[in-house]
Amino acid sequence: MSAYTISIVSIIGINVILAVSLNMISGFCGQISLGHGAFFGAGAYAAALAMVATASVPLALLAGVVAGSVLGILVGFASLRVRSDFLAVSTIGVNFLFVGFVRKQSWLGGEMGISGIPPTGFGASGNMIMILLLACATVVFSLYVSRSWMGFAFRAVGEDEQAAATLGIGAGAYKLAAFGIGTALAGLAGALYAFFTQFITVDAFDFILSVMLMAMVVIGGIGSTWGVVAAAVGLTLLPEAIRFVNDYRLLVFGGMLVLVIRLAPGGLAALVHNLFARTRKA
Amino acid sequence: MYYIDLAVTGVSFGCMYAMMSVGLTLVYGLLRILHVAHAAVFALGAYVVVLVANATGSIALGFLAAVIVTPLFGIAIYRLLYEPLLRYRPDVPMIASVGLLVLMQDAFRIMFGEQGVTFRQNALSFTTFDFHGVTISAVQIALIVTAAVVFAGLHLFTTRTRTGLGWRATVSRPKIAASFGVDPVKVRYLNFAIGSALAAVAGGLVALLNNLVDPSIGFVVSYKALAIIVLGGLGSVRGTLVASLVLGLVEAYGTIFIGAWLDRDAIAFLALIVLLMIRPQGFTGARTA
Amino acid sequence: MLIRNRRLSALAAGSLSSLAGLVVLATFAASPARADVKIGFQAPLTGPAATDGKSAQIAAGMAVEDINAAGGVLGQKVQLVTYDDQAKSDQAIFTANKLIGEDGVKLVVNGSYSASGRAAAPVFQKAGVVMIAAYGVHPDITRAGDYMFRLVHLGPPQGAATALYIGKTLGLKKISTITMDNDYGQATMDGFIEAAPKYGVEVVNKYSYSLKDRQFGSIVASVKRDNPDGVYATGYFFTGGPLVAQLRAAGITVPIIGSQAFDSEKFIEIAGPAAEGTYIIDSFDRDRKDEALQKFFTEFKQRAGYAPEGVAAITYSAVRLMADGIKRANSAEPDKVRDALAATKDFPLLEGNMNGFNSLHEMIMPIQVNEIKGGKFTPAGSITDLNAFAPPEK
Repeated sequence: MSAYTISIVSIIGINVILAVSLNMISGFCGQISLGHGAFFGAGAYAAALAMVATASVPLALLAGVVAGSVLGILVGFASLRVRSDFLAVSTIGVNFLFVGFVRKQSWLGGEMGISGIPPTGFGASGNMIMILLLACATVVFSLYVSRSWMGFAFRAVGEDEQAAATLGIGAGAYKLAAFGIGTALAGLAGALYAFFTQFITVDAFDFILSVMLMAMVVIGGIGSTWGVVAAAVGLTLLPEAIRFVNDYRLLVFGGMLVLVIRLAPGGLAALVHNLFARTRKA
Repeated sequence: MYYIDLAVTGVSFGCMYAMMSVGLTLVYGLLRILHVAHAAVFALGAYVVVLVANATGSIALGFLAAVIVTPLFGIAIYRLLYEPLLRYRPDVPMIASVGLLVLMQDAFRIMFGEQGVTFRQNALSFTTFDFHGVTISAVQIALIVTAAVVFAGLHLFTTRTRTGLGWRATVSRPKIAASFGVDPVKVRYLNFAIGSALAAVAGGLVALLNNLVDPSIGFVVSYKALAIIVLGGLGSVRGTLVASLVLGLVEAYGTIFIGAWLDRDAIAFLALIVLLMIRPQGFTGARTA
Repeated sequence: MLIRNRRLSALAAGSLSSLAGLVVLATFAASPARADVKIGFQAPLTGPAATDGKSAQIAAGMAVEDINAAGGVLGQKVQLVTYDDQAKSDQAIFTANKLIGEDGVKLVVNGSYSASGRAAAPVFQKAGVVMIAAYGVHPDITRAGDYMFRLVHLGPPQGAATALYIGKTLGLKKISTITMDNDYGQATMDGFIEAAPKYGVEVVNKYSYSLKDRQFGSIVASVKRDNPDGVYATGYFFTGGPLVAQLRAAGITVPIIGSQAFDSEKFIEIAGPAAEGTYIIDSFDRDRKDEALQKFFTEFKQRAGYAPEGVAAITYSAVRLMADGIKRANSAEPDKVRDALAATKDFPLLEGNMNGFNSLHEMIMPIQVNEIKGGKFTPAGSITDLNAFAPPEK
């Protein structure tokens, strides 16, 4: 496998973890989060600090997971207080605050970021395999959650909180759980990203990234793990596949985003579903 | 004098935020969509103003062209992008909106150059007045006066005219308004037209203020506007006006006093989150949907 | 569970094979004419950094044409392999790997920002590919190893030279500083603040703004209150232009000193009459009686529709230097080119002659200062005390 392929597959793996974890919060539990980049970034920074201090991969992974989920549970508490209308904008706010704060902290390297993160020792392909394994684990976990009682409770909360309450499902605890799990996985992805680039600057975790992740969830089909995985792979490859348009890449990318949503608003999952329904009828 | 200088900065910027956000909050009130592509409308307005002004030599003609072109563009966004997506979850049209913004930003770059466009003649940008040590520029005065006129006009329109009353009624009580014979689709067109025109005026004034229109001109303003409309209690014009002015002032002072540990662009969101923790229903209280 | 796993592996295999297909396709599309010397080129052609990327791309293309018109190198033509990196780290890693693996490039000019150069440097170093960073200023770039070269003064030395110029040449004592919040702006300002006391310069107050800001009302009001002898600001021309205009509009008449990236005709266009009297440190002398420079100026203007700025000039020079390295090495082997580049002496850049590289392959060269007079860049001396702004050796 060429180094180019390895680097792209690594980023695909990271994006799959991010999109699937966001799908647990926004897809399963209906809590729209447009600040997933902040949790990803928190994980990356924590892992980078841990890696620089100890050079231990497991410790760095742990640090990433903990940092992501701590910030996530904090935001989860906030989500209990505000109307769902406000949540989307509040999470955008979390993202901007994270970037605006880290930018100014000299102990986090400020604008220069954190560099000199020691290599994991697995090499580029070793890293890629680790990333792919963790991505697969995330997907399997997501599928498992979706079929478990917890997944049922998430969906109940997402669709109608009051109805969920009559079934004895306390919305609060499940919202917190969704945020905690989803952001822990984002933190994990952050740690993997720090291993991949070996230096981080805060610009990599901006709001645009969060929107891209939400686009993966929406295009994949909100709530569908497989759809979201496919969209994460597709949206990561798309800019590479359209490299030949060079100067017009963002234009084409934006245009395709609009077109895909306009033509398949229910996402890939709905598209596939409809296709099956149609063939069955025929 | 120093604190008054800061206040002038804050108020003039608040006025810009208000004109930018009003369209956004009304779109939200009507359709529950976070109309992120409003930033593209803002940028389009700025480009039209500068290009027409450079071609004709008249800045006034530039503004006139902008308030004609952008409402059509706004209506087209509604008609072609949002209307077919209304029955889906609000995140779906929002992502489409983001896609449109990315597309437009790059289209501006490709059409008008990455270097941005400046006014060929822009005496306004370099004119300032000095009142006993307080400096205020011609464009700042223009921003404040325009916003005052616009909001007074908007108030009269929504309280004194039939169309305006219907519009306001539809935003707050869509079903009742419809039963009184107000056509909700017409209201939406009107809404996108007026909101887009105001954003264009704001964009044009910012263009004058910076003497530069580049493809990213709408970017930051657009996300701050999202914070503003939530602070203002989604859908409320008055709340948005208040929130805009407050944010302008907070930023003007905040840049100096908390700039060392927090980026200016994050101040709006800090204010938002603090407020939501204290008053989860927003500044002006709950809006009855 | 089993079934699910199978679906998973099928998906993985599917995506991998489609990827492989893509890769093959890309290789075919890019299959170059043989026996050319390929120079890889990374620049931000899309996204917010495209302003500089576009200039860099045009300049690099001109350099290659000029080299080939003069007979190429080693009897072969030079071919530029260009990729867009959007000035982002992950895109820089992708394109670096693509240049190495698919295009077989051994020599690269990075015409992009630090985020890109910093991410690409270790990748190239590991593959033994020579890279010249045209204008990426993060110190990590050259620290990645001995295949890395940089053709721009690092931020901190630029800042130190500025302190020398402000304190000694302009004789200003009290300075308010305005920092742009990115690595370039911050690093340059750090160098200034560290060196300032040495030249009797006192920093009255420090302010900062974000790259996206074009409105500086609060900072302007504060500077007015500070009443300093001068203002030093780091930034790009598209932030510097509005900043200087707003400072002047508020009645601040003291000298304004801007950092290198103010250097663009567009700066004068944006700031208009307010640009008068602004000093730009590490700016290039446009009137120098140098045939190559004058030719570059006219031609660039023709192609781009605007006058070249520092970024364009340095990228052009970087490609020329790479070709010169190949000629002196008499080989396109990266090891030999590296050694030839490291031994560079008195190479004529468009900005003037560079002395050479230090042990870390940082450029050593005097710093030019320009002042805006009558709406034109006018030379205002050069800072030649090389020890005052010596780049780091490690």
